[in-house]
Amino acid sequence: MSQRFRKNRLAFWSLRVLYVLVFIAVFGDFIANEKPIYCKIEGESHFPIFRQYLIDIGLAKLDARFFQNDWDEHDYESVVFPFIPYSSKTIDGKNGGYASPFEKQKIVSARYRHWLGTDNLGHDVAAGMISGTRVALLVGVIAMSIASLIGILLGSMAGFFGDDRFQVSKSSLWVYLIGLFVAWFYAFKARSFELSEAAKGGELSKQLLISLLIFGTILLTCRCILFFIKKMRWPGKKVRLPLDLIIMRMIEVLNSIPGFLLLLSIVGVLQRGSIFIVMAIIGLIRWTSIARFLRAELLRIRNLEYIEAARAMGFSNKRILLRHALPNALTPVLITISFGVASAILLESALSFLGFGIGEETVTWGKLLSEARRYPGAWWMALFPGGAIFITVTIFNLIGEGLTKAIGSE
Amino acid sequence: MLNYLVKRLLLFIPTLIVASMIAFGLSKLAEGDQVLDYLITDPFGEIENPTDLFNAENTYQRAANELSLDRPAFYFSITSRAYPDTLHKIGLANRRNTVEKLISQYGNWPQIETYYNNIRSLELEILSLPDSLDAAKVKIPLRDLYISYRHETINNRIDEIRSVLSENKALSKWLNTDFDVLKNKYGDVFNQATPRKLLMPSIQWHGFRNQYHAWIGSFVRGDFGISIFERRPVADKLAPALFWTMVLNLGAIFIAFLISIPLGVYSAARSGSQFDKATSLGLFMLYSLPAFWIGTMLLIFFTTKEYGMDIFQGIGLGEIPMSAPWWKQIWLAMPHLLLPIACIAYPALAFLTRQVRGGMVDVLGQEYIKTARAKGLSEKTVIWKHGFRNALSPIITLLASVFPAAIAGSITIEFIFNIPGMGWLTLNAILQKDWPVVFAVLMLGSVLTIVGILVSDILYAMTNPRVRFGEASTK
Repeated sequence: MSQRFRKNRLAFWSLRVLYVLVFIAVFGDFIANEKPIYCKIEGESHFPIFRQYLIDIGLAKLDARFFQNDWDEHDYESVVFPFIPYSSKTIDGKNGGYASPFEKQKIVSARYRHWLGTDNLGHDVAAGMISGTRVALLVGVIAMSIASLIGILLGSMAGFFGDDRFQVSKSSLWVYLIGLFVAWFYAFKARSFELSEAAKGGELSKQLLISLLIFGTILLTCRCILFFIKKMRWPGKKVRLPLDLIIMRMIEVLNSIPGFLLLLSIVGVLQRGSIFIVMAIIGLIRWTSIARFLRAELLRIRNLEYIEAARAMGFSNKRILLRHALPNALTPVLITISFGVASAILLESALSFLGFGIGEETVTWGKLLSEARRYPGAWWMALFPGGAIFITVTIFNLIGEGLTKAIGSE
Repeated sequence: MLNYLVKRLLLFIPTLIVASMIAFGLSKLAEGDQVLDYLITDPFGEIENPTDLFNAENTYQRAANELSLDRPAFYFSITSRAYPDTLHKIGLANRRNTVEKLISQYGNWPQIETYYNNIRSLELEILSLPDSLDAAKVKIPLRDLYISYRHETINNRIDEIRSVLSENKALSKWLNTDFDVLKNKYGDVFNQATPRKLLMPSIQWHGFRNQYHAWIGSFVRGDFGISIFERRPVADKLAPALFWTMVLNLGAIFIAFLISIPLGVYSAARSGSQFDKATSLGLFMLYSLPAFWIGTMLLIFFTTKEYGMDIFQGIGLGEIPMSAPWWKQIWLAMPHLLLPIACIAYPALAFLTRQVRGGMVDVLGQEYIKTARAKGLSEKTVIWKHGFRNALSPIITLLASVFPAAIAGSITIEFIFNIPGMGWLTLNAILQKDWPVVFAVLMLGSVLTIVGILVSDILYAMTNPRVRFGEASTK
């Protein structure tokens, strides 16, 4: 398959462009930053960008030496600045009010030129583009990871078990239903005060962890209870759960609500812009296509002879699904995932274009683009960010297309 | 056929109910007090004497009643034994939240209720005092008590009141006893806490007089509620917005079909040729072009004077008399609509052409086309009469996607070009926190999507007898 994919020149080139984008996203801080990568002052070597990472995770403090002056005003003995000497937050007051990339800029040397122009306040557009790359790829990848996780789990269960093959004993059904309610009540409902206070104080993760621990403990207790029930040979009758029906209904409900509208309303209701909220919501909305795809694949696979053979060998359902059926269905899911990443990136940029979602301090392509609408003279604020969205979306679509052809021809 | 239709319709009812619950649940997540937003001026803003307070409470109560917000949210609620089932009766959302937070800390509703009532009676007491006593200094920390739920904050407020009272002897003569009662009542809340009640789950049944029931009931009857922001029926706001969105989308879909069918058929008939490859790639690129980018580019290059290319009319719809007949309104607005329609049309065009081409390539590869050619029919007849007819049915089903697109598809385009359609309306409603409008749009979107799916199913069933007679599963 990978050989066939490689033969598709467009798709293969898209993959190479993607590597470049990933490189920019990962090493963005070293490409565009107001801080030097390396500098030497009074015989001491400093690595300010690395140090910033340590400061961000709380392992170091800002060097007092750098407090007084701007980064470009120190007397360095030797210094290595990044390619773009601005970060996306740097305000270059002298070049505010939309400095065009081609016109004269108020700069000391060509090194400080704003190659892609500036915005109203004097933010460097090129640095903003690099910050945007990071946001776009992060949203695309993480949102689709969440979506894939849910989609693969639910889709494979719906397809493999269908409406007739998933059987549980009545006792375990009841124990788990009650257990889930109890676990939810004590983990979240009874702790709602602690959780909401923590969300305000910014310590949500700690309280959430406690809640999840309680949740897990109660479910574990349920398993123990079930173990004893089975020991006492009192499991009750088996009941069939129509998994396919339940999961397909869920998909139908989600598909019936216009996705972008739902995303907008949720972000609007929460009124707290955060990249993680946007990723989570996109992931929670976008899993349906993956689930449907996988369900169709497994509905086909589960009737194949080798699955029958595995069944005849007496393997458990779990083993057949995980070891035999799923591995054969997963490769085609890559197609859906790569189209999904494209649409997630598009969703996020449209969202921030409209001024929703991601918090004030993060620069995204969508936000840059929306500024062009406010000041039509700044063509560079429309051309570059929009072009970046276009290229990223296109390469993911081309990769998806290439995968379709490569897998389809096999 | 009828059986099939009824079955599908029945399956959509639970879907719609769940979708409505999601929309409703979202509205409950929103912070802020909808009743106060609705009232525009805060009735509790300037209160000088007890009558003002009673009036304010009445105004609030009446508004809450109008919006059915004085009811419990849902048919039932799952809480703990510590909560009363009359919590929704407390007016003012932030006071209700405060009481809830107090309960979730101490779990003793009776004590909290008396404490809360005492704050009010002390306020009434202060309001009835003559102005000469300068009671305003007590009023501020007292009103803060209504919305304080942390132990330290409440103690601080009580200390503030105490220090004011100790300075002002005349005032303390009037208020001391009531203040002492309040202090003791809060002491009761703190000391007689019953946190174990918080750990006992309880399910409360509220009956049919609830917010969800009222909302969904009137929605089914075609009454979409009252816009919080403008105090007029949501339906009145939706109608003109839906009109403009429909104009945009129908125009765009029409153009898209007009171009995509000949283009798709033509490239399918010459599949594999240079022309076919070039159009395929071109359409793929076109499909990947984000409409909001192209929209912005068109807007800044062709409607503003910056670049000397202001060929098209700018944002908005221009001056349109509301009294004019609808066709005249469209005619007058047309110069403004060209660019938005183009922006909506081109992705649809790219998508449709790919579909038409794909369908035609499949059909043209079939045996009966060879037979038709062998019969000596002209290429034109073969392609259009024998080929295209059979490729048409999946294309017709695509028409169904027009319905949901009318609601959601053009949000960004309407935003860019300031067209007062559904997307523009929704965006503004979200910014103004006008949730009744947002959720009417969400529900309408869901209904239209479902209708769209249904229509496409029916069209598909009509062209494909296997579905009709129940051979293929409809799951």
